[in-house]
Amino acid sequence: MPPMIDPSLFDQIKSKIEEDTTVRKELEQIVDELHQHVSFTQGLLSRIHSTPRSKYPTLLPQVESSIKSQVATVSKLSAFASQYPYYKYNQKWTRPLQDSLSTVLLYTWLSSPTHPLLTPSSLSTFYSVPLNLPPNHDAFHITTEEYLLALVSIIDDLSRLAMNSVTLGDTSLAVEISTFIKDLHAGFQVLNLKNDILRKRVDSIKYAVKKVEDVVYDLSLRGLIPPAAAGTGEAGEAAGEKKEE
Amino acid sequence: MSGFKRDWNGNAKKRDGPKPPPKKVVQNQYTPMFETLRDELDQHHDRRERIIKASRDITALSKKIIFALQRVRKIDKELPKNIQAEVDTRLADISKLLATIAPEIQGINRYRYARSLMCLEELVEALTFLHYLKTQTLITPEQLTPIMDDLVRKAITPPEDVPMTDVNEPAATSPEKPEEKEIPKVSLTQDDYLYGVFDLTGEMMRFATTSTALTGTMAGGGAPGDEEPRTIVEDMHELGSFFEMLPVGPGKRFQWEKKLEVTRQSVQKVERLGYDRTIRGSERPKGWIPDLSGGDQPEEE
Repeated sequence: MPPMIDPSLFDQIKSKIEEDTTVRKELEQIVDELHQHVSFTQGLLSRIHSTPRSKYPTLLPQVESSIKSQVATVSKLSAFASQYPYYKYNQKWTRPLQDSLSTVLLYTWLSSPTHPLLTPSSLSTFYSVPLNLPPNHDAFHITTEEYLLALVSIIDDLSRLAMNSVTLGDTSLAVEISTFIKDLHAGFQVLNLKNDILRKRVDSIKYAVKKVEDVVYDLSLRGLIPPAAAGTGEAGEAAGEKKEE
Repeated sequence: MSGFKRDWNGNAKKRDGPKPPPKKVVQNQYTPMFETLRDELDQHHDRRERIIKASRDITALSKKIIFALQRVRKIDKELPKNIQAEVDTRLADISKLLATIAPEIQGINRYRYARSLMCLEELVEALTFLHYLKTQTLITPEQLTPIMDDLVRKAITPPEDVPMTDVNEPAATSPEKPEEKEIPKVSLTQDDYLYGVFDLTGEMMRFATTSTALTGTMAGGGAPGDEEPRTIVEDMHELGSFFEMLPVGPGKRFQWEKKLEVTRQSVQKVERLGYDRTIRGSERPKGWIPDLSGGDQPEEE
């Protein structure tokens, strides 16, 4: 009678488990590297809380160059991870990738007085990795959730900056941040969220909104809102609306 | 739409001025982007929901198959008719459910929803157990693939156009209407297989216990001509060593260890049965049948 277990089965399964282990080890190395670049960038970016806007021209180029190393690592990750089922391993990198996305979002927002927000597609161009993929295409990409989570985290950072910019005497930046955060908050309310991590993080946006509103309120109470809010007309208007809400 | 106020007489009050416009969601430059993102998220959530629902049903059906199989008393190519019939109906139901979710779990989505597809583990358990009871061997992943493909295919292509054989039927309705469309497959991951087999050891233990208690013989043995018929005790030992020798799967170390521990216990329970049989089995008079009246085992039909 045939044996209970096919003799070739053991080796077949063993080699698959070993392959899986190797893949994970390699991924961990790349993800570690990404993590280091991201932490460094985050560290640099934390200086915005003590750097007046006039000094940005010296700070931001440093951020930019460290973002470049992140992008390089992400493309390494993308090349490696695309050989395997994306969702089998994406838990390994989704957090550092979110953090990386948020540094890029924050950097671009700060780098121009018009405060551009990178959309998912421009972000994917920035990293030159694809966005959401059709089901028949299994490769590395940036997911919708990752983008949204990254957005939540820059909202947090900016709400802190709103306070600190006032301390640094840059009241118009606080007003600009307030407009931006309120717009994003309205945007997030368009989403239908489930009880998951995204929902939990999005729920925290209201505290950021409250924080910046308080700052703007303090400013308007004391007549410290810059007239025409340093070029951004709508910002002043937003501050005017503030009281009735 | 009960939007009017009443005066103190209870009559509907006239609005002063025009009807205010319906409350609009705040629109700003980012709204369109968020709307796109919302649609993507909605699709994902809906798909996940559908998968989870089907998965829950498939799990329940697989469990019912396993329960039915636990009423089998010996390893044999043919299952008892009534049990085979029950297994077949359950499998047909599973087949329908699999076919509904099959298109949703193709390609990249297979692993995306892996955690919502725990039913596949349960199904593997049922199928491996069925295979063991018929052949006394462990089914391989390669043998499982065609079975899974079959299950999905059965529900997608309706069973060989039965009404078409009707003589009165005009031949106009061609039986081969859909050109062999690409039938989506439900693939099993290595984890589905391994964790299903882990659970198989528990079922084998249960089967060994009941069948030994009720028939007085250790299940297994194969053809009567075999010089050394293999029993389920040996099979359990082999499965036990199989798992002990495998490297621990990365990523799920905790779950793996837990399952392995349960398997160890099952192996030991069955080997205890083997010991009891050897040492006391001969003391039983021929034709001895244990008292079943107090047992919670289902009656054999």
